[in-house]
Order: sequence, then C-alpha cells, then structure tokens
Amino acid sequence: MPRFFLHIDDGAERIEDEEGSLLPDLTAARNEALTSARQLWAAAILQQRDLGSRRFIISDADNTEIDIVEMDEALPVSLIVRLQGKSLSSPV
Amino acid sequence: MDYKNRLIQALSDADRGVLQPLLTRAELPRGCELVAPQRPIEQAWFLESGLSSIIAMSGREQGVEVGLAGRDGLVGLPLLLDADRTPHRIFMQVEGVGYRIEANDLTVVLDKHQGIRKTLLRYVQAYATQTTYTAMSNAVDTVEARMARWLLMTHDRQDSDEISLTHEFLALMLGIQRPTVTLSLHSLEGMGLIKATRGLVKVRNRAGLEAFAGNAYGVPEAEYERLIGPLR
Repeated sequence: MPRFFLHIDDGAERIEDEEGSLLPDLTAARNEALTSARQLWAAAILQQRDLGSRRFIISDADNTEIDIVEMDEALPVSLIVRLQGKSLSSPV
Repeated sequence: MDYKNRLIQALSDADRGVLQPLLTRAELPRGCELVAPQRPIEQAWFLESGLSSIIAMSGREQGVEVGLAGRDGLVGLPLLLDADRTPHRIFMQVEGVGYRIEANDLTVVLDKHQGIRKTLLRYVQAYATQTTYTAMSNAVDTVEARMARWLLMTHDRQDSDEISLTHEFLALMLGIQRPTVTLSLHSLEGMGLIKATRGLVKVRNRAGLEAFAGNAYGVPEAEYERLIGPLR
C-alpha cells in the first residue's frame, strides 16, 4: 500500500504530518481527511471555535502535493445551502 | 531481588518470597499479545517496564483502548476474579520486561496467601477506577485534554521523559483519527508542554501538562496511591 501524508494548512502555518499512513488509494486518504474533519468540527462547535480556512493537503510518498480537502467539505450540504441563502438575504 | 513492579513492591517480604520462585522473567517486544480475546488466559504478567494496552474489541477493525497497565499492575485480572477469559485483547504497546506466573500457580497462591490476594484485589479496584475515569474523560473532555491525560498516564509508568509512540498508535489509543492526533499534539506543543517528533513525544513540562489536563487526570492516580502505594 502506498503512503499518504495529510498535512494541515490553517492559513497561517502548515502543520506537517511527519509519519503519513499506508492507505490503499487517494480515495481512502480523502476519506481519512474527511473523517478527521468531522471530528475536528464536532470539537470546534462544542468549544465555539471556528476551523476557518483550515484544509488538508494530501501528499504522496514523495511528499508531492496531490490533493486538497477543505474542512468545509465535511459539513452537511444542507447546512451549507442554508447558510448561503442566509448570507445572500442578510449580508454580514 | 529488586522488582520495579509496584504490586510486588507493595507485598510483605514473606509474600514476595512466596511469589518469587513462581515468576519467570521475559522480554516483551512491542506488539506482543499477552491476552487474546475469548481465549483461556494461561498466564498473568507482572510488568516491570513497558506498557500494555487493554483493548475493547468492537465492529471496528482495531478496537479502542480502554485501559493501560505497566509496572503499576498485573495483566490477567480475570484470573483474580474467578474468570478464565475476557472479550478484551491485551498487548504490549511499548516494549518492556515482565514476570510471568502460570494461572494455576496464581490460583493456589491467591487461595493460600491473603496478603497477596488483598494487594491484587486492591489493584483491581484501582484499575476499575482508571477505566471509569477513562469513560468520563471520553464523555466530557476535549481531545487535547484526553491526549494530555494519556501522555501523563504513560509518563507515570516509565522513567524517561520520552514516550516512544507513532501517531497511528496514539490514534488507536484515543479512538481518534490520525490527523486529529497531529493537531492535538501540535496544540500541546504550542503551549510548551511537550515536544513531538516523528515517533516520539517528549514531556517538557509535566506540571503544565497536569494543569492543562485538569480534572481529566489525577483521581485514579490518587486512588492507586491510597490503595497500593507510590505509582511513579
């Protein structure tokens, strides 16, 4: 199985994944990122924190960036649609 | 003979003398399985060093850690409670050394020597307290506080400030995703409490880590010391 690295970029800095994990393919790596994003959102919401513009940068075994998973992708689609509707009718 | 196992240390000289000829020393490499789920437990282990994880098996591939034991404890508690097996899996997550005692020998010793039985049963109570506080911590604490608690519990059971574990392992221990491990270590590191490098976590500020863990850490450790004696 190939090794994938899931670095976290929070806009200000990049938190390196030094170990990586062995996963069957990129889909599995994206799924790990998404599951983790759900876990991070759950904690963030409970603590009234915002994950802001955090994202996962997925690299392959050579540490070449091959994909990006935004934290937002883990949020329920219906929530995103509702919030978009809100921001259109009442811009902040 | 000098033992590092806290339970053996807590015994009277006479009781230790009863146990000594029944103990066989063994090196326990990382990953070594001490108890297999739902199989007769043939030996119990007094650990001298290293760390064992008690894993509750579930539908999940790997299960989740529900308890840990090192030189503070005995692996094979069902044998003390008249049970010959457990649904849990127990394996070494940090390599170490242990003393093995055959299940039959242990049963005879427990029957004949009240001092040994009482000490080991008090450890069962201390261990039960640990697992109930793990349940509480899982229910109410942040991932960072749980991580701090876990690092403190590991630190208690070894002499060195360096904890040798991969993020993948920590993820299994805490039942979280690996990137969540990376982030929570990063946040503890940002507070100057630890230094995390590949496969290694160094405790830099033990008191700070305890303060950060807050209520997540301390009660089971105090219970252990009340029931058995010094933990660290």
